Amino acid sequence: MQPLVLGIETSCDETAIGIVRGRTLLANEIASSVDEHARFGGVVPEIAARAHLEAMLPSIERAVKTANISLRDIDAVAVTAGPGLIGALLVGVASASGLAQGLGRPLYGVNHLASHISVDCLTHSDPLEPVIALLVSGGHSSLLQVDDITSSITKLGATMDDAAGEAFDKIARIMGVGFPGGPAIDLLAKTGSATAIDFPRGLTTSNDWQSRPFDFSFSGLKTAVARYLESTPDYAKGDVAASFQEAVVDVLLLKALAACKQTGINSLVIAGGVAANSRLRHLAEQRCEKVGIQLRIPAPALCTDNGAMVAALGSLLVSAGRAPAAHAFDADSSLPVTSINLR
Amino acid sequence: MTISLAIDTATSRTIVGIVNNGKVEFEQFHEGATDHGKAISELVAKALKATAIPDQVVIGMGPGPFTGLRVGITFAQSFALARSIPWVGVCSLDAIRIDSTTNNLKADEYTVATDARRKQMYWASYKAGVRIKGPDVDKPEEIDEFITNVFPDVRKLVELSSMQNVREPIYLHSPDAIPTAERT
Repeated sequence: MQPLVLGIETSCDETAIGIVRGRTLLANEIASSVDEHARFGGVVPEIAARAHLEAMLPSIERAVKTANISLRDIDAVAVTAGPGLIGALLVGVASASGLAQGLGRPLYGVNHLASHISVDCLTHSDPLEPVIALLVSGGHSSLLQVDDITSSITKLGATMDDAAGEAFDKIARIMGVGFPGGPAIDLLAKTGSATAIDFPRGLTTSNDWQSRPFDFSFSGLKTAVARYLESTPDYAKGDVAASFQEAVVDVLLLKALAACKQTGINSLVIAGGVAANSRLRHLAEQRCEKVGIQLRIPAPALCTDNGAMVAALGSLLVSAGRAPAAHAFDADSSLPVTSINLR
Repeated sequence: MTISLAIDTATSRTIVGIVNNGKVEFEQFHEGATDHGKAISELVAKALKATAIPDQVVIGMGPGPFTGLRVGITFAQSFALARSIPWVGVCSLDAIRIDSTTNNLKADEYTVATDARRKQMYWASYKAGVRIKGPDVDKPEEIDEFITNVFPDVRKLVELSSMQNVREPIYLHSPDAIPTAERT
């Protein structure tokens, strides 16, 4: 019998509960506090944490109903242990811990980034690994080599400053087109030209390719866009959005494909909220096909933060016979990606 | 007959108890203002090994420093959901038991205060065991004479559960954040 796993994700502003049986998704309930953060132009940790507490029980109850199971049938509880906002993570961990203890079932404290990658198992039945993972969201931009999603992830590179999604948020805020910035810029970009403005590609000089081939930097790009907007009062919003987006997407894929080439791994998974970006998905398909790399991108709803991915990783851990956490563990706001399953 | 699991994380202590029909069968606390998450799970595991199976959960809903307070509430609510048993919320300040002789009280009237961080205290005043003012949060110099370094009592948390049913955390403070439009 495949394990029935409930997953809880509260690392940022989504209170998300997922239920899977083996590799089959049964429920994926998300309560987001994003509207409460919009007027602040970014996620306010205390508002997010309050919203998590308020949404937690109703979300669990909804997920159980959608999955048409009883809580007592759950074989294991999995929860995001980090990285993320500490006050937000703690609500999820405490809830998962209370559930696991109430049910008398094992508790898995899992890595948020590994969860984003593992959600692929809900759409593909063939083995994922070995694979290069490009993980891009509002909080993270990393290139990872995944040899075993339940036990072995190697970090190849990461952003030196802003995360890709953060850059989208900041540019959207300067242009006054709304929060979160990703979907707003994506939509606006469809009305402009990606080649209208030549914005810089961070860390792509020959020196950078030598010293930090798989790291990213988006702060220079952000400044370049801000300067352009200042010096061009009658700028075309669509062109700025499209050209900025192209600069981000281009450099993400350049480095991801370079990582595939260097490691000899001919499979790439793109995960995280920015993987929902339509231009990234389109360009990734084109470029991967050209060089014969197998591309895996989850459906947009499974790219942004969700509970299904946490349940998916929990299910893979149970199936692989990995040990659950001890009764008590702390959430870790800066949990390294190499720590997949807290012990 | 009610067997209550009582949980309070509104102070620097993580407090867990089991009260079986008025009798305290288990009572332990862990001191540590940032330890609530780990401590609660360990203490509840201990409590469940030691005693009968609870049929309700009583939760101290604050006021208390937000992060620790939420850990206790969300753990307790989720435990209750998993067991399909009810949870009852009570005011944590009301659960502080004051002994008039040891505290040298002249009359049956007093104010209790607990640490709210940021140089403030959560407080409430009582007369003949009944809250007459508060709960509120202020700087210590703005509160009349008060008793502090006091903590919720397991038996009193459970006693209050037949009189109160607080369904929301008692924060008393709004989140610190300024909307983009109001920034200068």
